[in-house]
Amino acid sequence: MKFAAINKFAAWLAKTSPSHTLRVHESWLIPGVQSIHIVGIAIIMGSLLMIVFRVLGWAWTDQSLRQTVDRFGPWIIGGLVLQLLTGIVMILAEPVRELVDFSFWAKMVFVAIGTALLGVFLVSVPDDEQQGEALARRGSVRSLAVVTLVVFLCIIVLGRLIAYDHIWPWSPATSGY
Amino acid sequence: MPIDAFLKSVEATTFATTIRDSIWMFPIIESIHVMSFTIVVGTIAIIDFRLLGLASTNRSFQKMSSEILKWTWAAFVVTVATGLMMFTTNARIYYHNPFFRAKMILLILAGLNMAVFELTAGKTVRTWDNSPSAPRVGKGVAAVSLVLWVSIIFMGRIIGFTTHPGAVAPPTPGVNYDNFLLPPSGGSNTTGSSNAPAQAPNTPAHTSAKKAKKK
Repeated sequence: MKFAAINKFAAWLAKTSPSHTLRVHESWLIPGVQSIHIVGIAIIMGSLLMIVFRVLGWAWTDQSLRQTVDRFGPWIIGGLVLQLLTGIVMILAEPVRELVDFSFWAKMVFVAIGTALLGVFLVSVPDDEQQGEALARRGSVRSLAVVTLVVFLCIIVLGRLIAYDHIWPWSPATSGY
Repeated sequence: MPIDAFLKSVEATTFATTIRDSIWMFPIIESIHVMSFTIVVGTIAIIDFRLLGLASTNRSFQKMSSEILKWTWAAFVVTVATGLMMFTTNARIYYHNPFFRAKMILLILAGLNMAVFELTAGKTVRTWDNSPSAPRVGKGVAAVSLVLWVSIIFMGRIIGFTTHPGAVAPPTPGVNYDNFLLPPSGGSNTTGSSNAPAQAPNTPAHTSAKKAKKK
């Protein structure tokens, strides 16, 4: 069974004391943490949308690309840290729901891709205004911005589908155990 | 109650039945609901932080709001449309759910809060457009807005925990997760598992309880 190791880990995690404590309070704690997780992705999406609009020249055009990235980059990074922390709490609270789940792992792949794309973009924006403009005019950079946005939209969809993993015919949640 | 009869007829429409009977439609609609909603809240937060004087203080408020709010409204339309779709599938359950009602009241309050802004600080925007922050009433509106939208997120999330048609009590903390996890040892027959009766491979007994919990 290819998922046996993950299953065993999830089962072990479910028996640990932090996981137990979280489940005892789950009636309010799990929706509470999930809500913070949604606030986090809202912060990230709003900020990412603004950077993408700046690259496309749809908004923030009175600011340089560097200024726009400096305005929203820290919010995205802070948001990602918040997502990591609340995400860990959710895994601890419901190890089986999260780890024995196709949507979860697909989401993690998209998180890795999205974070990498974003990281490359954030560090490669030049301080110089003219160079920033030249960068934002390049087709490849514009495409990269749009792809990054789409990756983050996929992350949201896959995140919600963790609760509905049975829609995937190949999901471990539908395969009989 | 006449409202219940109406809601029952809403649930009986082909539209609602199609979504309800589909295995993937409701999850996809809900995913789009969350996707558009994050854009609504994310963009509103940017405006609110500008009003509070906490970010983007060097930019004209009017320019910012004209760039951003059209996207907020577009995303809001998508959120309402997908929300209505989900509502039709179990209209009576949602209507009678206290958290759904609280969410609707909070949405109305968010609308009223916006109206307050338009009638006060919004009217004098030319005098403070380039100031680092809005007048006191504008800051108040922004703070209230942030609290309202975060509360709306929480209400929306908890609706999913309290309205599932098959909602059952959450499993006891002492539940033996091994029963959910261990694949049948040696082929398709469950052997030696005293509290798990033999199951057909594709219809494990825990599925309904698990689905009800997942939301």
